[in-house]
Amino acid sequence: MVMAAILAGTAFFVYTQVARSSYLTGRYLERQQPVQFSHKHHAGDDGIDCRYCHSTVETTASAGMPSTQTCMNCHSQIWADSPYLEPVRESFRENKPIEWERVHDLPEYAYFNHSIHVAKGVGCSTCHGQIDNMPAVYQENTLQMEWCLACHREPEKFIRPKTEIYNMQWQDGDLNAEERKVLYDNYKIRQAEILTSCSTCHR
Amino acid sequence: MSMSKSRVESRESRAGRRALFCLLPSAFCLLFIGCGVRSDMQDQPRYDAYEKSEFFSDNRASRNIPEGTVARGHLKENKALHTGKIDNPNANLQVETATDATGNTLVSSFPNDIDEFPVPVTMELVNRGQDRYNIYCIVCHGPVGNGDGMIVRRGFPQPPTYHDDRLRNAPVGHFFDVMTNGWGKMNSYADKLSAVDRWAVVAYIRTLQISQNPSGTTAMNANTAANTMPPVGTSNSNTSGGAR
Ligand code: HEC
Ligand code: HEC
Ligand code: HEC
Ligand code: HEC
Ligand code: HEC
Ligand code: HEC
Repeated sequence: MVMAAILAGTAFFVYTQVARSSYLTGRYLERQQPVQFSHKHHAGDDGIDCRYCHSTVETTASAGMPSTQTCMNCHSQIWADSPYLEPVRESFRENKPIEWERVHDLPEYAYFNHSIHVAKGVGCSTCHGQIDNMPAVYQENTLQMEWCLACHREPEKFIRPKTEIYNMQWQDGDLNAEERKVLYDNYKIRQAEILTSCSTCHR
Repeated sequence: MSMSKSRVESRESRAGRRALFCLLPSAFCLLFIGCGVRSDMQDQPRYDAYEKSEFFSDNRASRNIPEGTVARGHLKENKALHTGKIDNPNANLQVETATDATGNTLVSSFPNDIDEFPVPVTMELVNRGQDRYNIYCIVCHGPVGNGDGMIVRRGFPQPPTYHDDRLRNAPVGHFFDVMTNGWGKMNSYADKLSAVDRWAVVAYIRTLQISQNPSGTTAMNANTAANTMPPVGTSNSNTSGGAR
């Protein structure tokens, strides 16, 4: 009996650990992309704002992916002959989209919306990590329900001023608890009961 | 005696079997999740933004609206607001352009461009303009518009500075036109900036020009009479991205 309990307990523990592991959540996994696009170069070294490419992040559920035209704004002139950019030029010539591999992918029964998070002071790096240091994007967090809930229970621990949303270096400790409480009130964030109710994310 | 022992035993083994039974579904789930089999609930029969579609030959599920379609309420009736131009009052006046040593297109006469903002110039408009400028323009034109942005330092052809007499005297409609239709080596930004956002950027560029030349004669030409300002930032939806 005791043995069985230990066995079941161990199995359950193993199961939860496996379920949270990067193997099943896809965490830290880099994907092979059709173009070796580097956020470290573009967002980090060149300082291009996230919204230059992800231009709908403030207004819609999806952050938005750059059109080929957006790449060509610069690459029609610089690195215009680079072999690494041939897929971009081909896409532009033939009017066919570049088919990027998804890195973050929630199951479709869960509803997520970027615009509300950006509007209520949750920065990109809180969820995506230091993208400006990533030559290839990987998933920084598990994106499991428990992760969403950990913040929805106490969002006041993770919010920042609106001017810092796109600052990849921001740390939660940059503001003290009182300053964050002021922000929390200003943003008029609703109570945890509403934010953790099932229909917020499963609708 | 032996009865009770065996009952204990059987209870034990039943518990064992029950544990095994509980494990089975989890093992089953693990197997499927592990194999990457996603159930119908996870991949529902609908398209998400930018999802790939085998149905269309270009694989895009997000379709561009057919050319010539006008969504209700989006008829661009106000020509000045949407193009920065008015009908040329004097048909004999032509746009004069020249190409300078660096290959930039210079224009010195702007017969069609309006010189008065078609939206009221408010503090909010200028702030919005600063915000948008710092996203879309700063990378090439630099923080104050000298044309020394990071991408230029990485080899992009240098744009002209905003702080010479030609561009100080250029009508606001010209700046709007450059953003809307592109200009020489610079592409259009109309897909990223709504008409009102583009006017906001123009207002900010004028502010930069005044700040760099405070004793000059550059004027805002703010049209305070226009009170028909549409909501800011409504239409920067971008449907022409990739399929994924
Ligand atoms: C020059 C254009 C550009 C800029 C600037 C840019 N991105 Fe990206 N981003 C892309 C492209 C292209 C992809 C798809 C390829 C990839 O995943 O690397 C992408 C992918 C991503 C992804 C993964 C999407 C997925 O598939 O799940 C995240 C997250 C992301 N970007 C966040 C950011 C953040 C945060 C910033 C600002 C620091 C930023 N990006 C700046 C072009 C850009
Ligand atoms: C605002 C200008 C700008 C935009 C927009 C831009 N890039 Fe770049 N890209 C650069 C610069 C500058 C470099 C050189 C990187 C460096 O050394 O810092 C570069 C380098 C690259 C390289 C490496 C080229 C080589 O030969 O090493 C690739 C690949 C690339 N970009 C892909 C893309 C893609 C794909 C997009 C569209 C999603 C894009 N870029 C959009 C400015 C831009
Ligand atoms: C609250 C957490 C959170 C914040 C804050 C956040 N993201 Fe995301 N992001 C996600 C999740 C979750 C997904 C996956 C969405 C899906 O699969 O439907 C995602 C997906 C993306 C994608 C892929 C395209 C898409 O929308 O599915 C890009 C690009 C991206 N994020 C960029 C950004 C940028 C840029 C910012 C900052 C302005 C940002 N994100 C802020 C959680 C976040
Ligand atoms: C770091 C904090 C944080 C994380 C992580 C986070 N959220 Fe949120 N979320 C917020 C805040 C703050 C709000 C705004 C609440 C408000 O306006 O009252 C919000 C709002 C939302 C809303 C809108 C609620 C409504 O009724 O309009 C949805 C949906 C949502 N989040 C889904 C998710 C999902 C799904 C995840 C996980 C993939 C997630 N969030 C992760 C902080 C977070
Ligand atoms: C903050 C957003 C959020 C809230 C609130 C929320 N969920 Fe979820 N839920 C998610 C996300 C995201 C996933 C997908 C997680 C994953 O991919 O593993 C999920 C997954 C699930 C799953 C499937 C789990 C699995 O492993 O397949 C169930 C069942 C579920 N949620 C039930 C609930 C119930 C019941 C509630 C209310 C008590 C609730 N959820 C509230 C975001 C939320
Ligand atoms: C990728 C680099 C780049 C970006 C980003 C960019 N520009 Fe330019 N811009 C140029 C170049 C190069 C020229 C000179 C083009 C020519 O004459 O061929 C130019 C020219 C101009 C001119 C001068 C036109 C004239 O009469 O000489 C204006 C005004 C202008 N840009 C405004 C903007 C605004 C506003 C934005 C942001 C919405 C912007 N630009 C973004 C590169 C850029």
